[in-house]
Order: sequence, then structure tokens, then C-alpha cells
Amino acid sequence: MGFMDKVMGAFKKPSARDIARQRLQLILKYDRAGLPPNAIDEVKNAILNAIKDFPFVDASGVTINISPNGDNREKIEIEIPVR
Amino acid sequence: MADKVICITSGKGGVGKSTITGNLATALASKGYKVVAIDADTGLRNLDLVLGLENRIVYDLVHVVEGVCPVEKALVKDKRTKNLFLLPAAQTKDKSAVKPEDLVEVVEKLRGKFDFVFIDSPAGIEEGFKTAVTPADTIIVVANPEMASVRDADRVTGLCEAMGKSEPKLIVNRLDWKKVAKGNMLDAEDVVQILGLELLGIVPEDKDMVSYINRGEPAVLFKDSIAGKAFRNIAERLLGREVPFIEPAKNEGIIEKLRKLLVGE
Repeated sequence: MGFMDKVMGAFKKPSARDIARQRLQLILKYDRAGLPPNAIDEVKNAILNAIKDFPFVDASGVTINISPNGDNREKIEIEIPVR
Repeated sequence: MADKVICITSGKGGVGKSTITGNLATALASKGYKVVAIDADTGLRNLDLVLGLENRIVYDLVHVVEGVCPVEKALVKDKRTKNLFLLPAAQTKDKSAVKPEDLVEVVEKLRGKFDFVFIDSPAGIEEGFKTAVTPADTIIVVANPEMASVRDADRVTGLCEAMGKSEPKLIVNRLDWKKVAKGNMLDAEDVVQILGLELLGIVPEDKDMVSYINRGEPAVLFKDSIAGKAFRNIAERLLGREVPFIEPAKNEGIIEKLRKLLVGE
């Protein structure tokens, strides 16, 4: 992306094209993993519940993501920061 | 040739599978290759319309599979292009009438006699799709730059891989550059990036397409058809030649010109 695109992009609201791209990227992540769209949130909530009482864990910083794992499979990545 | 048996599929219906099959088959046949196009969409026969051959059908794929006639007898010779033949779909049967192993057997009989065997897949991901894909050396997934089509293309890609097929190649069909420029439509590069497939071709939206199909004349035979040009380019790529992808006619606004002046491409 050129400099001018970035400058102009900062003032512009996302186009239908941008939104379609973002939505599809997310939809396909779930489709490829064979998961319903809220599956990750459920996993995240369960993890948060399980770790919330450990004082050395920063529960507010937990991130969860689906990404390709090779072999046509997806993996769920959970990052739990330590305080 | 490794890419001899080519299946055109998409998941979603109405994205242009039959049009692309008919046009690519016509393009290669008009270059002198011997080509057969199989309509594997049993029950929803359509490829005959693209080629204008609907009045010449006597036997169909189900007749061949059921042993009513040998495959050679069911082939319909194209009326415009030498070396081009259609194996029509049955119109009154359903998709289960042709099993994957049936089509493999038919294709094996044709493989030795033709330079290219095209298979026009039905929409969907059920048995008809699996039948169409099974005999293919190469699979082409057609997607329109549109949400449902891209999603379905990805689904079909996953199924092809699960069937042990090599990764499909992508044709982005009906790309409307004006809508892309306005930010209303996905560009071909977006679709390529989202699906992660090798791009085989971009077919621009062509307002004359409906007329070509109405007349039963493949657009690829007409020099001034922009979609026709795209089909000819794709046919060249199937022959292993490198052809640049079609780009919109340069008609840039002043901001775009200024941008290029300032920061380059």
C-alpha cells in the first residue's frame, strides 16, 4: 500500500469491499475449522473460568485465535499472559 | 498432457460454470485440439444451451452409463467448431444416476481419443459434485467476487483436497471493475488472497454475455467480446503459456493519476 493510500485510508470509512474481505476471512476461518461462529468465544469463556483464580495470570490479556496448522487442519491458539 | 481432464466446479450455482466450460472447450477446439465437454449436471442440463446444441441431442450420459449406447454414439458434434464434441447430461434423471466410478469409466474411454476432456460439474457438494470431480486431473473452481460464492468456493476446495485431488485453480468470473473502483466489490486479488488458490483467469463482467448465451454462440468466438478475450487467455494458460491477466481499460481519475505521479504504482 502506498503512502497516499494510507493517508487517504485514515479518513475513509471502510468500503463494502473492505467489509466483505474482513467478513470472508473470518467466516472461512470458522468454516475451515468446521466450527460454529461462536465456538471460539465459548472456548475462551471456559478457559477464562478455569484460570481466573490464579493470581499470577492476567485474565484480561487472554487472546484466542484460529490459524492453519498445516495438514489441512486448523489449530486454536490461546495466549495466557503472566502478570 | 497432465491437465487433460478438467473439471469446472463452484459449489454455488449460477456463477458461470457451464458458460466457462463451453467457452474454454470452444477456445481449445478452435485452436485445433480435439475436445469433448461432458455435462455432468444430470437433471439440469445446460451446457448444450451455451453451445447452441440443444436440438441435436439424441443420447446422453445416462444412456452411456446404462449401456444403451456406446459413448461415441452419444457425442454431439459441435455445429461451429471442428474437433469439439458435447456429451450431454440426461434431463429426466437425477444426480444419483451417474456414480463416480461410472464417470471415471466414461472418461477413461474418452481420454485416449481427445486432447482435452472438460467436465461441467453440478452446483452443490453432494454426490453429483463428487462424481464430476473424481475423474479430473485438474479442477477449476469458479467464483464470483461475491460473499456466498467465495465462501462456497472455499468449501469446495476443502472437499477436493479431502478427496485427494491436487489444489484447484481459480477463475474469478464476472468481475465488475467499476464496482471494484467504487469500493463496492471484491477485487480479483482479494478473492485470490482469501481463497489462497492459484489464479487461472479473470473474466470481466460483460453485458453482452446474456445475448451470446441466448443465441447459443460462445463469446470466445467473437473478437470484440471482452469476456471472450478472457476465455481465450485462460485457454492459453491451460496450454502452459503465460498470458498477462486482463486489466481494466485505463481511465483513471485525477487523484489516481496524481498518486501515481507522486508515489509510483
